[in-house]
Amino acid sequence: MTNEQENDMLAASQPLVEPDADILTDDTSALPGVLGVLDIGIAKLEAFMLAAGVLLMALNTVANVIGRVFFESLYFSEELNRILIILITFAGISYAARHGRHIRMSAIYDTLPPKPRKMMTILISLVTAIFMLGLAWYSLQFLLTTMGRGRVLPALQIPVWVTLCWVPMGFVLTGLQYVLTAIKNIIEPDIYLSTNVLEGYDNDEREI
Amino acid sequence: MAWIVFGVMIVLLLLGFPMMIPLMAGTLTGFLLIFGDLSQIETAVQQIVAGIRPASLIAVPMFIFAADIMTRGQSAGRLIDMVMSFVGHLKGGLAVATAAACTMFGAVSGSTQATVVAIGSPLRPRMLKAGYKDSFILALIVNSSDIAFLIPPSIGMIIYGVVSNTSIAELFIAGIGPGLLILVCFSIFSVIYAIRNDVPTEPRANWAQRLKAVQRALWPMGFPAIIIGGIYGGVFSPTEAAAACVLYALILEVVIFRELDLRGVFDTAKSTGLITAVVFILVGAGAAFSWIISFAQIPQAVLGAVGIDDMGSIGVLFVISVAFFIGCMFVDPIVVILVLVPVFAPVVDAIGLDPVHVGIIITLQVAIGSATPPFGCDIFTAIAVFKRPYIEVIRGTPPFIAILLSVSVALIFFPQIALFLRDLAFK
Amino acid sequence: ATADTWRYAHEEAASEVQGVFAQKFKEEIEANSEHTLQLFPFGTLGESADIMEQAQSGILQFVNQSPGFTGALIPEAQVFFVPYLLPQDEATLQEFFTNSKAIKEMFPALYAEQGLELLTMYPEGEVCMTTQEPVKSPADLAGVKFRVMTNPLLVESYSAFGATPTPLPWGEVYGALQTGIIQGQENPRFYLDSTKMYEVTDVITCIGHNNFTTAAMANKDFYDGLSDADKTVIANATDAAFEYILGYQSELGKTSFDNILAAKPEMEINILSEAEREPFKATAGPVEAAYIEMTGDTGEAILTQMKADLKAAEVATQ
Ligand code: NA
Ligand code: NA
Repeated sequence: MTNEQENDMLAASQPLVEPDADILTDDTSALPGVLGVLDIGIAKLEAFMLAAGVLLMALNTVANVIGRVFFESLYFSEELNRILIILITFAGISYAARHGRHIRMSAIYDTLPPKPRKMMTILISLVTAIFMLGLAWYSLQFLLTTMGRGRVLPALQIPVWVTLCWVPMGFVLTGLQYVLTAIKNIIEPDIYLSTNVLEGYDNDEREI
Repeated sequence: MAWIVFGVMIVLLLLGFPMMIPLMAGTLTGFLLIFGDLSQIETAVQQIVAGIRPASLIAVPMFIFAADIMTRGQSAGRLIDMVMSFVGHLKGGLAVATAAACTMFGAVSGSTQATVVAIGSPLRPRMLKAGYKDSFILALIVNSSDIAFLIPPSIGMIIYGVVSNTSIAELFIAGIGPGLLILVCFSIFSVIYAIRNDVPTEPRANWAQRLKAVQRALWPMGFPAIIIGGIYGGVFSPTEAAAACVLYALILEVVIFRELDLRGVFDTAKSTGLITAVVFILVGAGAAFSWIISFAQIPQAVLGAVGIDDMGSIGVLFVISVAFFIGCMFVDPIVVILVLVPVFAPVVDAIGLDPVHVGIIITLQVAIGSATPPFGCDIFTAIAVFKRPYIEVIRGTPPFIAILLSVSVALIFFPQIALFLRDLAFK
Repeated sequence: ATADTWRYAHEEAASEVQGVFAQKFKEEIEANSEHTLQLFPFGTLGESADIMEQAQSGILQFVNQSPGFTGALIPEAQVFFVPYLLPQDEATLQEFFTNSKAIKEMFPALYAEQGLELLTMYPEGEVCMTTQEPVKSPADLAGVKFRVMTNPLLVESYSAFGATPTPLPWGEVYGALQTGIIQGQENPRFYLDSTKMYEVTDVITCIGHNNFTTAAMANKDFYDGLSDADKTVIANATDAAFEYILGYQSELGKTSFDNILAAKPEMEINILSEAEREPFKATAGPVEAAYIEMTGDTGEAILTQMKADLKAAEVATQ
């Protein structure tokens, strides 16, 4: 083996992707003063729920396998995973809004000149915020209805409404992120996808 | 009603709204049209939550997590080095290896989304480096992952089997032929693509180099061993295999290779959670949308208007294909199967079509549908994981869809593609 | 009278027992009124818990849900999981479902508290187990990982039978039997056929411990708001569907096993004798105690009444 090939191989077994840059940066807030501190606090809480949810899910699932093979199945394992996935999804949608990561089809939008594009961004953010806050209201109603009925999870025997608690919260926080995005776009000259992400995908490795 | 609902959706989609909004707005419009007000909108919330609840979906975050750990660490790189030492010198070799890896992984995991992540995340950077265009790579990964539907175990086939009272064992065997046929077609296309675009090859590795690459990959080869051995050995379900991979990946990268520290694990978990949320909110919103379409009995109305009762068997199979194709463009495949199979059952029965043949045609359409714009879970997963714009992810899709549709047509005219293995095993 | 469209969702495929009941109910409603009934089989509007909530909120007018699922909402409904409570004799069983005070008077009050008008309860067929090895006594279940629904009483029952109860989502059961994660599961006879459980197991064993019971109900506000004429139409349709399904499920129990044997002649089907069932029956006590502990006085009252109803049914059919 030549030296060059040797080097190639070593290079190739370095990590294939760089750490997720925009996620790993510490969360910042677009808000001033106390609100900003609160906003960062919420971001950290969301991040913690995401990571803890995923790690717990892995732990729970593996523990169930070990239990089943060597002792007995964890009777609550499936229900716990269902609770975690709701938590991950609804903590994640606001965190994703914060980082401008929600999926959209921007083909036509991208062809617009800057000024109408900015107008569109504001409109999209506001309409999305309205939808999210509306859903927050109705999911709160749904939570209360579920509470009134008293259905329980069959294995864990805890009320179903408990599992729904973060649903309205997730919608509220997502809605607020979109409100902030609209405001940010109104007061700043640039176009912002979210409160702390400027428009435009990074252009590395892009060859169509 | 259908036109208004789909119209609202398409317009918002094209305007560039976050994709959950067109789905939610379509749902909302449906509720307004049927009930006249929002009094029953709580059911939409119920379905958003219900959509992300199925136990089988747990495999998705788990495989994302495992793949992310492997890709940030050394495991994935070492595995790919090994494959490259054998196929790197062949034109299109890496692309064919990717398609094959997607097929194999999809076969055992049973999850197309998990396949996009687990195979796509390590192989995409490598293919980019090798000189393939991103549009080709993304389309190859997304479409090859959908072969997972056709190769057992397949949740789609299980559900079809139960709803249509068809042998699941026969369906499983019958899916293998078309699944492999698609893999072969994709491989041929990949080689042609590599030749026409003159994708460079690596120098041919000698056996000493190959041996060395294999040695370096010994630890990471535990992954396929865990997945295949664990599932077929009856130790765990495909979902649980995903979690076992997470555990193994953590052991390798944190303890053995020391590539990740605890902070890195936490950040990887966070990133996994974010990707999961971005995809699952669309799965949930899609479930609410499916619900209102199903509640309004729109499929029954549309198909009633088509008048399939007077068609011959080929005509009926075409209508079935088109109906499932269109259905899966907008709605979750499982719901499409549950809603449409009973609608077609009487005519399939009356004509005397082989339910296994019909089942494979439907499974194939479902597979195509989940990779077809505008709404497709695998497209969403690819966007979220690879952080590429929607349009880039689907730009390279047309040739693959063309291949898939050709196979669908071939399957209609030549049932033996599916039934050959079934007859060998059961008749 | 106005012509309304009513919606009815159930937990099974259109061709299975609940689907047949619903179809009969629909035919009767549509033949005797101006109304139309739309049917929504398994999964088309969500899982069992989802359609139940939809019926409670009035978006659906009718729903069919089995007490096993309703147990999460109305704990007393789990009485149908107490093993060896329901009779194994078909005539007694039918007499019981037709005249039981517990079903006709006590359960409707419990369902009403949840905003539901209980129309009827009916049997879907004897529950049997499918396993890889023959089961002649509880000892044969030792070490067998047995999939049961996530229901505390079922878990209790199978522990008492000697198996290792193993919860697993229904979608994974077929694959798990194939690869060997689990070695057994239980379901009504027709369901063993329709869900192809026999393809991945070798032995069917009927120990007579249960007959799968289900219930049809209406949204209470909707029902209370109906004219007397409409209520009569619904009552008559319920009776007609009930009568029809009693014979149908009984016959289906037999044809299901014929179908299975036709598809897989080497399938071993063991209907255990009275003597062979005794050791299984002997384990029922703790499960009954667990039921009473979970449901308190109302549960105990229902259990006592059901036992009285069953005595009466036995006397009536002798
Ligand atoms: Na598969
Ligand atoms: Na699609």
